[in-house]
Amino acid sequence: MASSAPADDRHFIAYKGSFRLFGLTLDDCIRVFFGGNAVVSIIVLALITYFLFREGSGFFGQNRDNLTVYRHAGLEYVDFIRTQQDDHAALTRYLSDLRVRQFNYSTTDKRLSLAAANAALAGFDDFAGQYGDSVEPIRTLVSDLTEQTTAIKERFTVMEDKKVERTQLLAVGKEAEAAAVRIVPIDFVAELKPILGTLPAYREASADFAKRLTAVLAEAPAMPAPELQTRMDRFQQLNAEYMAGFPAVTRNLETWDYNKPVPVTQAFSSFLFGRQWLTASFWQDWYGVIPLVVGSVMVSLVALIIAVPLGVGSAIYINQIASPLEQKFIKPCIEFISAIPSVVLGFFGIAVLGQALRALSQVAWLSWVPGFPYSERLNILTAGCLLALIAVPTIFTLAEDALNNVPRAFKEASFALGATRLQTIIRIIVPASLSGIISAVLLGLGRVIGETMVVLLCAGNRIAIPDFTAGLAVITQPVHTMTGIIAQEMGEVVHGSIHYRALFVVGMLLFFLSLAINYAAQRIVRRYRISIG
Amino acid sequence: MVAASLMDTLAPAPTLRPPSAPAAASSAPGSGPAPAAETLIEIDHVDFFYGAVQALHDISLSIQDKKVTAFIGPSGCGKSTLLRCFNRMNDLIDGTRIAKGSIKIRGIDIHRPDVDVIELRKRVGMVFQKSNPFPKSIYENITYGLKLQGVSNKARLDEVVEKSLRGAALWEEVKDRLHTSGLGLSGGQQQRLCIARAIAVEPEIILMDEPCSALDPVATAKVEELIQTLRTRFTIVIVTHNMQQAARCSDKTAFFYMGKLIEYADTRNIFMNPANPQTEAYVSGRFG
Repeated sequence: MASSAPADDRHFIAYKGSFRLFGLTLDDCIRVFFGGNAVVSIIVLALITYFLFREGSGFFGQNRDNLTVYRHAGLEYVDFIRTQQDDHAALTRYLSDLRVRQFNYSTTDKRLSLAAANAALAGFDDFAGQYGDSVEPIRTLVSDLTEQTTAIKERFTVMEDKKVERTQLLAVGKEAEAAAVRIVPIDFVAELKPILGTLPAYREASADFAKRLTAVLAEAPAMPAPELQTRMDRFQQLNAEYMAGFPAVTRNLETWDYNKPVPVTQAFSSFLFGRQWLTASFWQDWYGVIPLVVGSVMVSLVALIIAVPLGVGSAIYINQIASPLEQKFIKPCIEFISAIPSVVLGFFGIAVLGQALRALSQVAWLSWVPGFPYSERLNILTAGCLLALIAVPTIFTLAEDALNNVPRAFKEASFALGATRLQTIIRIIVPASLSGIISAVLLGLGRVIGETMVVLLCAGNRIAIPDFTAGLAVITQPVHTMTGIIAQEMGEVVHGSIHYRALFVVGMLLFFLSLAINYAAQRIVRRYRISIG
Repeated sequence: MVAASLMDTLAPAPTLRPPSAPAAASSAPGSGPAPAAETLIEIDHVDFFYGAVQALHDISLSIQDKKVTAFIGPSGCGKSTLLRCFNRMNDLIDGTRIAKGSIKIRGIDIHRPDVDVIELRKRVGMVFQKSNPFPKSIYENITYGLKLQGVSNKARLDEVVEKSLRGAALWEEVKDRLHTSGLGLSGGQQQRLCIARAIAVEPEIILMDEPCSALDPVATAKVEELIQTLRTRFTIVIVTHNMQQAARCSDKTAFFYMGKLIEYADTRNIFMNPANPQTEAYVSGRFG
C-alpha cells in the first residue's frame, strides 16, 4: 500500500492513497482480480460446452452417411433375410429352454436318474434338431449374400479412404501424387445386380423353409406335464406368427430400392432409439444409445433405492434424535465416505462386494429372492450397491440441511400438542422439508449418473439391454453405462471417426441429463424456500 | 399452607382430569367451600438450571383453577422458563434440570421420570411468542392434535374445527378458506389460529408465552378479548412484557426478578398497592 498523506492535524478528511498499477487504483485491482476469477470459470465452462458440441455435432452427418452406405452396399437387403434367420434362432433358444424345463421336471418331479431323463428326452431332441436344421436353405443364402455385400462395402470404404488421401495431398500441394491416386466410383447398380438377382432363389428357399417348418411342427412331441404343454402350445403359436411374417419379408425384398434416400431424422433416431451399440463390426456398426441409457438408469435406480432410505434416514436421526456426541461422531463419518476415491470403491466392489453378494445369492434359503442364485459377479446389483455408497453422503448432507431449515417452532408446537417424537418427525418435520429432501435425492441421482469408475469396474460391461422379462431378477444382469462406455472406448478410437463422435454425443446426452436433474433440484429448492415463508 | 392445599388437591383427583369431562374436577367433593380458590398448579421451592447456570431460585407459587395468572418481569428473569416447566417443554433443551423442589398439577408431580409427558402436554396446551402455525391448511392445523390422538371421524373433526375457531374468534374470518395454508393468514390471525389449535384438544391449562409481543395493537386487543372469553373454560398462565396487558387480563400477577419470585398477589394489589419496593419500581416503569 502506498503511504497516504502524512498525518496532518489540520486535515480532517483523509486522502486516498496515490497507488496506481497500470493506471488502476487498488480498489480497481481487487475488482479485476476477483472478477477475473469468476470470468475464467465461465469461459472454461463455455469452452467445454463448445468443444463438446463441436466434436459431437459431426456425428449425425457421419451417421447418415453410415446408414447410406448400409443401404447402397445392400447390407440392408441382406439384413431383411438375416432377421428372419435370427428370429428362428430365438425360437430355437425357446426350445432349448423348454428342454431344460423338461429335464428338471424329469429329475425332480419324477425322480428319474440323469441317464433316464436324457433318454426320455430323445424324441424331443430329435424334434429340436430337425427344427434347428429347417432353416438351412435360408442360412446358406444369407452367408453367400453376406460375403458379396461385405465386399462391396469394403471397396466403397477403400474408395472413400483414397478420396481423403487425395484431398490431403492436394492440401499440401503435392498435385502430381494426388493425380496418381486412382479413384473409380463404385457403380452400385451393377454391383447390386447379382445380389438382387437372388430374389427368386430366396423365394424358393423361403418356401422350402416354410414347408420344412410346417412338417417339423406337425410332429411336435407331447409334453409330460400340463405346464410344459402350455409352453409347447405357446411355441406353436409363436411359430405360426413367425411364419405369417414371411410374406412381409418377401415384400420388403421386392420393394427394396438401394437409392432411396436416408431421411435426416433417421440419423438422430437411430442413435437415440437404437437398440444396438455395435462397433468395429465386420458387418455394420450401430450406434444406438438405448442399451447404455438403460444400463445407466438401472444402476442409478438400484443405487437410489438403497441410498435414499440410508441417506434420509441417517439425516433424520442426526438432525432430530441423536445426542450432540453422536452427531459429532456420525456426521464426519458419513461425510468421509465421499473422500474415498471411486476407483478404490470399484476395486473393493470387484474384490469384496461382488464376491460376497454372489456367495450370498448362492445360500440355499435365500433362493426365493428374485434373481438368486446368480453367477455373474459384476452386475447391476453390485454396481448399484457401490454407487449407493457414493450417493449417501450427498443425500445425507443436503437432506440434513433441509431438515435443519425447518423452524424449531414447528417442532415445539407439535410437541406442545402432545405429539411423540416419531409423530413430529413424520407429520411435521419431513413434510416441511420434503422439497429439500427431494432435491437432495435428485442431486444424489446426478452424482450417481455421472459416476464413471465404479460402473466401469463393477457393472459387468455387457453392451445389451438387460432382459426385463426376468422381472426383478433383471438387477443381477450385467450392463454397460453411458459413462463407462466413454471411459472405456475413448482411448482406442480414431480421432474424428464416427465412433469417436458417437462417444461425444453420448457425453452430450449425459451433460443434458445432469443439467436437467440439477435444474429440477434447484427449482424445487427455490419453491421450498418460498413456501416456508 | 402448602401441605394443606396439596391434601385438598390430592384427595379428589389423583389423576389428571380427562379432557372430555371438563367439569368433573371443579365439582369434586371435599374440595372446600370456595372452588374459586382451588389450587391447580403447586410450585414448591423450585431451583432450575440450564447446565451450570441457575435460572430459577427457590420459586414457590400456587396457580388457581379457572383464573388468569400473569408472569411479569424484565427479560431473562425466568418467567418463560417457569412457564415451560409446566408442560416440560424444557425437556427439549439439553442440559436443563430441576435441581430441587417440585411442580405438581392436581397433586401429580409432573417431573417424576414415570410421568407420561405426551399425556401431560395434551392437558397443558401452549401458545408461543412467535405464531407458529404448521405449513399446512388451517383445517389441518386445528385437527393435528386430535389426529395424533387417533380421532379420524370426519364429522367430529369438522365439529371441533368450527368450535375451536369460534372459540378463538377466528371462525368468521376463515370459514371460507379452511383448506388454504395457515401461513397465508395475518400475524394476529396466525396467533389466534395457534390458540384455536391449542384449545382443539381441550386442555385444562393454556400456557401463553408472550402471545402478543409480535402483534400490532389491534391484533393484541383481539387476543386479549379472547383471553377474557377463554378464562371461563381454561386456566390460563400468561407471560407478558406488557404491564398494561397483565393489568387488563389477569386475576393474579407474579413479578419475577433475576430468577426469583419477588411478589405474587391479586393483580389489583400488585399494580395499586405493591408490597415490595422492587415491584413498585418495576410496575411504575422505573426499571425493566
